[in-house]
Amino acid sequence: MRLTTFEPAADGNARYCCAFGLRTVVLNMNFTNSGEPPAKKRRFFADPDTCVSHESTASNIQNEPRHAKHLEPSRPSEVPTPNSAPSVISADNHPAPQPPPSTSSDAAVTFDQDAFQSLVGDTVSTDVLAIIRAKCGDSLERALNMYFDGTWKNFQVRSHPLMRSTTLHPSTPAPTTGLPSQNDRPTRTDTSNNNLDIRYIGAFGAEGWATRSGTNLIKHGDVVKIERQKAQQTPQRLRLAASGKSDVIVRFTDNKGTEIGRLAKDAANWISSLIDQNVCRFEATCVYAPERLRTNDTVFLQLRCYLKMSIFQGTEFDLSDNRPTGFFEERESAEERNLRLRQVGIVRLFQEINLLPTKSNTASHQNARQGLLDAAELAEKKSKQNQSNGRDTPGSQSDDAEEGEELEQDQLDALYRKAQSFDFSTPEAEPAPTFAMSLRPYQKQSLYWMLAKEKDEKNEARETSMHPLWEEYTWPLKDVDDKELPQIEGQPNFYVNPYSGEMSLDFPYQEQHCLGGILADEMGLGKTIQMLSLIHSHKSEVVAHQSKKPANTLPRTLQRSSSSYYTASAPKTTLVIAPMSLLAQWQSEAENASKEGTLKSIVYYGNDKMDNLQALCRESNLTSAPDVIITSYGVVLSEYSHINSRLGSRESHRGLFSLNFFRIILDEAHTIKNRQSKTAKACYELSAEHRWVLTGTPIVNRLEDLFSLVRFLRVEPWNNFSFWRTFITAPFESKDFMRALDVVQTVLEPLVMRRTKDMKTPNGEPLVMLPPKSVEIVDVELSQAERAVYDYVFAKAKRTFSANIEKGTVMKAYTTIFAQILRLRQTCCHPMLVRNQDIVAEEELAGAEADAAAGLSDDMDLQSLIEQFTAATGDEKDANAFGAHVLEQIRDEAVNECPICSEEPMIEQTVTGCWHSACKKCLQDYMKHHTDRHEIPRCFNCRKPLNSRDIFQVVRHDDDTSAFQSSPKISLQRLGVNESSSKVVSLMAHLRVLRREHPRMKSVVFSQFTSFMSLIEPALTKANMKFLRLDGTISQKTRAAILKEFAEGDKFTILLLSLRAGGVGLNLTQAKRVYMMDPWWSFAIEAQAIDRVHRMGQDAEVKVYRFICKDSVEERMLKVQDRKKFIATSLGMMTDEEKRLQRIEDIKDLLS
Amino acid sequence: MALPKRIVKETERLISEPVPGISAVPHEDNLRYFDVEIHGPSGSPYEGKQVAIDAWHLVVRTVINIDFTGARTIPNRRLPDGSTKIRFLTKIYHPNVDKLGRICLDVLKNNWSPALQIRTILLSIQALLGAPNPDDPLAADVAKSWKDDENKAITTAKEWTKNFASPAPK
Repeated sequence: MRLTTFEPAADGNARYCCAFGLRTVVLNMNFTNSGEPPAKKRRFFADPDTCVSHESTASNIQNEPRHAKHLEPSRPSEVPTPNSAPSVISADNHPAPQPPPSTSSDAAVTFDQDAFQSLVGDTVSTDVLAIIRAKCGDSLERALNMYFDGTWKNFQVRSHPLMRSTTLHPSTPAPTTGLPSQNDRPTRTDTSNNNLDIRYIGAFGAEGWATRSGTNLIKHGDVVKIERQKAQQTPQRLRLAASGKSDVIVRFTDNKGTEIGRLAKDAANWISSLIDQNVCRFEATCVYAPERLRTNDTVFLQLRCYLKMSIFQGTEFDLSDNRPTGFFEERESAEERNLRLRQVGIVRLFQEINLLPTKSNTASHQNARQGLLDAAELAEKKSKQNQSNGRDTPGSQSDDAEEGEELEQDQLDALYRKAQSFDFSTPEAEPAPTFAMSLRPYQKQSLYWMLAKEKDEKNEARETSMHPLWEEYTWPLKDVDDKELPQIEGQPNFYVNPYSGEMSLDFPYQEQHCLGGILADEMGLGKTIQMLSLIHSHKSEVVAHQSKKPANTLPRTLQRSSSSYYTASAPKTTLVIAPMSLLAQWQSEAENASKEGTLKSIVYYGNDKMDNLQALCRESNLTSAPDVIITSYGVVLSEYSHINSRLGSRESHRGLFSLNFFRIILDEAHTIKNRQSKTAKACYELSAEHRWVLTGTPIVNRLEDLFSLVRFLRVEPWNNFSFWRTFITAPFESKDFMRALDVVQTVLEPLVMRRTKDMKTPNGEPLVMLPPKSVEIVDVELSQAERAVYDYVFAKAKRTFSANIEKGTVMKAYTTIFAQILRLRQTCCHPMLVRNQDIVAEEELAGAEADAAAGLSDDMDLQSLIEQFTAATGDEKDANAFGAHVLEQIRDEAVNECPICSEEPMIEQTVTGCWHSACKKCLQDYMKHHTDRHEIPRCFNCRKPLNSRDIFQVVRHDDDTSAFQSSPKISLQRLGVNESSSKVVSLMAHLRVLRREHPRMKSVVFSQFTSFMSLIEPALTKANMKFLRLDGTISQKTRAAILKEFAEGDKFTILLLSLRAGGVGLNLTQAKRVYMMDPWWSFAIEAQAIDRVHRMGQDAEVKVYRFICKDSVEERMLKVQDRKKFIATSLGMMTDEEKRLQRIEDIKDLLS
Repeated sequence: MALPKRIVKETERLISEPVPGISAVPHEDNLRYFDVEIHGPSGSPYEGKQVAIDAWHLVVRTVINIDFTGARTIPNRRLPDGSTKIRFLTKIYHPNVDKLGRICLDVLKNNWSPALQIRTILLSIQALLGAPNPDDPLAADVAKSWKDDENKAITTAKEWTKNFASPAPK
């Protein structure tokens, strides 16, 4: 429509010019003055917003006279531009009726059209009908004659120049609409029927080039026909098509059918596919052509586009069905290719005619369309690549290979924020009375939601929502010439799926087939409890029936078995799949949450004893079937592989895959985030009525993670990977993040319930009232010996780093530097850790050689430093050689006030060789004061000279209640001589205080170094403290036993937990104290560990102590942590290069 | 800087369990400064004549420097490592006290120890009043007269006490 601006007729028309931007006017001037074709047709496109006004004004001008000429009763309503009626796709002007997609005909025609057609013996296109009817004067006989002798064609031919000649010189740009309405009015009534064959949707300008030369071949206003060369279905063409290059030539011919030229390739590409696939038909008017046409001259055309109504009827796309798992079609099938071409065509068309959706789910449509085209292009490239690559079979891909780009943190954040729009006004549902726990309000809300999902209750709000992939368009009311277009009542809109090219007249509802969903509450909000409440509150009808009348339920069994012939229905049973470490927890929670005897749960290990799961759970065994079967991903996988190894014979299988469960729950479902992993595939194969997925992180780091969940849930149509790929992965990879994320959001929205801990209810109350938590940083001062080791390692790391900086090889030596920093961190924990590592020794060796060569040899080597440290530890003998009476004396000393600082009791009471006590720190400082002045320190009390080796720390064992001595034990420990590293000593001091104050409290000690944990153990043993240990090396069974022991014991217990092994899932709410022995790079990991203890179910204040060595790399790590926190939330959009630089900065900070 | 626990405790104790013959009151504007009054021990030239038990008041301004001189130069040091600064305000005729009121006492110097409290220091000073030590003098002339003619010296001391010290309250 915009190309109407070319019409020379318009020059000098003020109204016309006003409607356009200045640029257009100038160009118009050029155009009219020089008579040369404009360089680029794009230039002439007016801004979209000026378009409307332009259309109306411009078309008013030419419209009116044309109608004035049309004196005969035409039927413009049915055929919006009857003048160009037959010029559509039929290649030769065949008089025979075109194969109209719809056989229905216009019932309101005055001469009996049905009769006419039956006499003709064929269906006649409405266009032809219109002409004939116009000329026949309502006489059927005349009409028949006209039809058969072809005279109607003359009318058709003649009408064009007639009409166009008038439009060329719009002498009276009179205010419009009045005149044509006379003609329009009767037709309007006609159009109330729903039987239009084609409907106008818009016009656009296109460029063509002449294939002929000559004068006056074509001029402005001439109607040309747009044709595809249908006739040539030659073998050559087929070959072309087979090789992936199809011919896209679109010709335009004059009304005699002589070819004048072809459309430019750009446009022809998509126009051809639209014509070929019977989507549209085009009518064209010449806008500009040079008077003397030479071959290759540019001709400007205005194309009017009509959608064929047939496309709204028979289009079925099987895209949404779940095709088999071979996602990796090496090449597209011809059909798929056609679909894609068509989709691209439609999107391009809408872009060209600037038809905007009146309603859609995505915000920025201009971009969206471009994205779609890009995605298609990508697919094109891919298919070509694959063709050249040959067969790249899915099998060749490693099982763990993951594809898709990783999400940046901020993208993930944005996505989660969107998915978190939790509506606090959601109704609540009360759990069934058999449920023994009380739910919090938000849990009741999610129960309601889950019940609704399972029962598929139509949620009113959701029902009206449009399918996310569809867009709504309004049929244009007026065409490009501002002529009123026929409307069909009740059909003001049509709907297009720009992703698939599907079109529909019916509102595309967003369907929800999936009877389950994703419960993605943040850790600690009680996902398990919510699921258990669901298990109690929604039981299958079979079970409900059975409880009423325990009659036989056989008929239903038959009915159900239709799902699959080899799976028996297990209508009572919910299958829970969880990581091994959580099985025991699930079972105990299931029992705790149920009133006694109302829920039977078993843990299924897939061993022989339980082999006949099928018999146990099937419907005929309803009374004794378990309500909940808890199993691990490992069991699912092993049964799956077992079946596979038997070549898919499921008949003999009696395990998990032999049943159609009532419900499956995947706990920690990100386990299956990789859709190609066998575990994921195994889970897909399980059958159930309801599927639920529990995870705190539905997307770990790539969008495909979500796909796997969706696939498991069998959400149509997203569970089809190619579909997913086209609409999510492709836009994402082509950097259209917002679009991809928007689509993901629409996928997620109906599926996901997610709440976070920091959410607040509308009243401003937090969702979960957790007891307070305090985090305290405990400064640890390294002992002299430790400091020496530390300094050594530090100097070494720094040297390596600066050497690499100089050489510019920091990134190369990154791992080495990192390893050295790791060693620094270990030194902070315990210097022995450094010695324990063989690699270190090797590196040291190599390093020492290099240093020696560089003349940098150290005075002391690490080994001797560590020996000094070991010499200084664990030497207790002579301290305890003192007589018991001395100890008692000290213990019973009435005054327990430090004579120096008056602290009472003394902090770390220390005794001099002359048995005078003071705080350790006071005494040390006092002595230092003297030694600094080169004086001999003397006892503050008796002025005896003090020997620094004869200072002892008093270790009271009164915190150890398990020792049944009449009086608390005391032992002396030589000062400056530690039991272990300073950190361990500090930890022990904390634990001792804790045991004195809370003799039964449990605590968790986290470290990332299991070897460090091994060094803490002896200290705990010596202090007679009960401890348990859990790290990655421990088998699942002992793991459960350990956790149970920790949970159930009532003694003062310490759990040594490795940061990595304890990061997920565990529930350690029995503990009230957390000791973090070493900092991790990001605090988030530590926070997660802390949340093991500070989570739902915690009933007391939690105190967290983070042990940080002063003036060490650890202190600096805290700063890095702080900065990371900041970066993660503000700008995660860093390039890899920037990240690397950032890392170097981090290291610089650490080593400065 | 917050007052160290020790000062607080010592002050509390000086008030709650006063030493006979000694009163020490912290200054309002600086709790480290104490206004101290010591009664001269009976039998000493510093004892009042009229009332046997009564003693002349000797006013001593004491600066208990448990504040750590070091604290300002070495941060994080929290230990008392400076001795008590103490001197007589009242003019006194004593071989171990000089014209400026400075006191020669081992616990204030070499024998100082952080374990010494204000109370103990003041008791030492009281004892010093009762037992002048001319062998380790600070005021050389006084020590000389003390050694040459002890009675004359004691008389002078009594005179000085009478002239400069204030009478003890009844």
